[in-house]
Amino acid sequence: MTGGPPSAEIVYLPRWRPRGSRPGAHRGRDAGGLGTFRASVPFLSLPDARRIDLRATLRDPFEGVHVRRFETRVPVEIYALVDLSASMRYRGEADRMALAAELCAGLAASATRIGDGFGLIAADRAIRGDLTLLATRHRSAALTLAGKLAGASCREGSAEGMIEGAHRLLGRPKMVFVVSDFRWPADLIRRVFDALALHDTVPVLLADSAEDVGLPDWGLAELEDLEGAGRRLVFLRPSLRRRWIARERERREALATAAAASGARRPFALIDRFDAQALSRHLLTG
Amino acid sequence: MPGFLASYGVASPGVLWLLPLALLPLVASGRRRKAVPAIAAAPDDPLSRWIGLVLTLAGIAALGGLLVGLSGPYRVGERITRIGIGAQVSMLIDRSGSMNETFAGKQPSGAEESKAAASRRLLSGFVGERAHDLFAVTAFSTAPMLVLPMTDRHDAVRAAIAAIDRPGLDYTNVARGLAMALSQFGSDQGISRVLLFISDGAAVIDPRVQDQLRAAFAKVRPNLYWLFLRTKGSPSIHDRPEGEDTPQAAPERHLDLFFKSLTIPYRAFEAEGPQAVADAIAQIEALERDPIPYTEIRPRHDLGGWAYGVAALGLLLLALAALAEADVSARRAARRVAAAEPLRRAA
Repeated sequence: MTGGPPSAEIVYLPRWRPRGSRPGAHRGRDAGGLGTFRASVPFLSLPDARRIDLRATLRDPFEGVHVRRFETRVPVEIYALVDLSASMRYRGEADRMALAAELCAGLAASATRIGDGFGLIAADRAIRGDLTLLATRHRSAALTLAGKLAGASCREGSAEGMIEGAHRLLGRPKMVFVVSDFRWPADLIRRVFDALALHDTVPVLLADSAEDVGLPDWGLAELEDLEGAGRRLVFLRPSLRRRWIARERERREALATAAAASGARRPFALIDRFDAQALSRHLLTG
Repeated sequence: MPGFLASYGVASPGVLWLLPLALLPLVASGRRRKAVPAIAAAPDDPLSRWIGLVLTLAGIAALGGLLVGLSGPYRVGERITRIGIGAQVSMLIDRSGSMNETFAGKQPSGAEESKAAASRRLLSGFVGERAHDLFAVTAFSTAPMLVLPMTDRHDAVRAAIAAIDRPGLDYTNVARGLAMALSQFGSDQGISRVLLFISDGAAVIDPRVQDQLRAAFAKVRPNLYWLFLRTKGSPSIHDRPEGEDTPQAAPERHLDLFFKSLTIPYRAFEAEGPQAVADAIAQIEALERDPIPYTEIRPRHDLGGWAYGVAALGLLLLALAALAEADVSARRAARRVAAAEPLRRAA
């Protein structure tokens, strides 16, 4: 599934009304000549003789001329801001980077299919230039780069570059998917969301059931931190497992709170398997 | 600390150069590592921390114990000086021919025992009584015989005493015997010294030799006990002879007088039978109760067993930990097979 095109596309709906003059797929803020009918307005406010609404004009007892106003449909830019810190190298039930690549490929395909641009910014301690792409509507370019993500090397122990990546997304509001496991300090999470406050931000939390609910009930396990925070022996037992799972749940709640504080959407937890329909549902309802 | 270390050694010290390897468990472990995105995800758990610490120490103990065991550790043999209750006892035993007779002055027959046999029996009991007594045994007849120098090997002392009922030799020459018995004492100060003189008769001590003996007694200052095995009918040490009171006429009495003139603690026991001898010995035993330094010899002791024992304990703990290891990957593989099952059936 990783190699081929995604079986289902991701349906998304921007939260804001984008501006723009290029025709696209989303309802724009500006009214224009093309798109869905929005209202009839007096000719004087929109002097467009091509769109005179004859029926409304004849119906007007004051014999004013009316013009149909249409809603423009404009494209938006989709950005995936991908964390490449060392913890993303984790392999539990699934390969975390493969999941991220699959998600990005899905986003790239879905975005370019409806004429939206797809861009990718990958960062660890700094922005990773080799895995960064400004929004493009070239489907193949977007897909190629998203495919390259699966083989990306994740070595740095920090995700500070995410802030830089967020600052790079200047200008018009964009839809930004922050793809990470969010194993960050609380301060970094807050700063990244703050930097993205302008955009329609969707945190995508890459999780793995082997990290919490998949833990065995009993046994010794030697844990080694992928980001170089040392190793530790834990004696797993039901009470510890319960505490562990509760802690993970708290972490996700804290992430949701931090996201909400900066106006971002509810985080989407991508657990074990990429399910485009689930993501679409989340994006349409959240 | 150096003094403590000095009493230990190893057979092949070269192996100890590898000892820093014992610190390896501090930086590495033989357990399967499970990579996790963030170690902080695991809740802080004191029990786990303790187990981790114990296993690290077990690893250090296992490696260190094996290396120390391979190097062949031992505790060196040494002589330890301790203080016990006892005395230096120098026994001077008469081996003249008359000792072979019974207290009645006859050759022993049947159940009768000679004076030598009786004193042997009683003295060997005396030797076993207290652990820290030192004994020297000197025998004399015409000439003195050094039987055993001052020693704490009571078995040897008992063996020496066991030999005194061998048929006796010649006459009685007290003076040279006394001189040799005195020379048996070492030069240690502050120790109670006992000169136990056992004889059944006495002889004249030459006046010139008397002076030498006086000097020797004054130097050594032993407590002198004379166990006089008196044959029935023979004169006591207190009897004045009927004729002239000369040393030649009553040597026992004059030897007693000589001893009394020495200004050292002196007691004479006149024993006319085995029971009297036993009583005299019991009295001597009760009198001589002073602290005495004695040496204890500890042989070289191999400590390899201990080192291997420590290593085995560490290895046992590590083996238990290995058995208790959570097999995360196997669980996952099993679950994947189970998940794939319906798909295969559908296909």
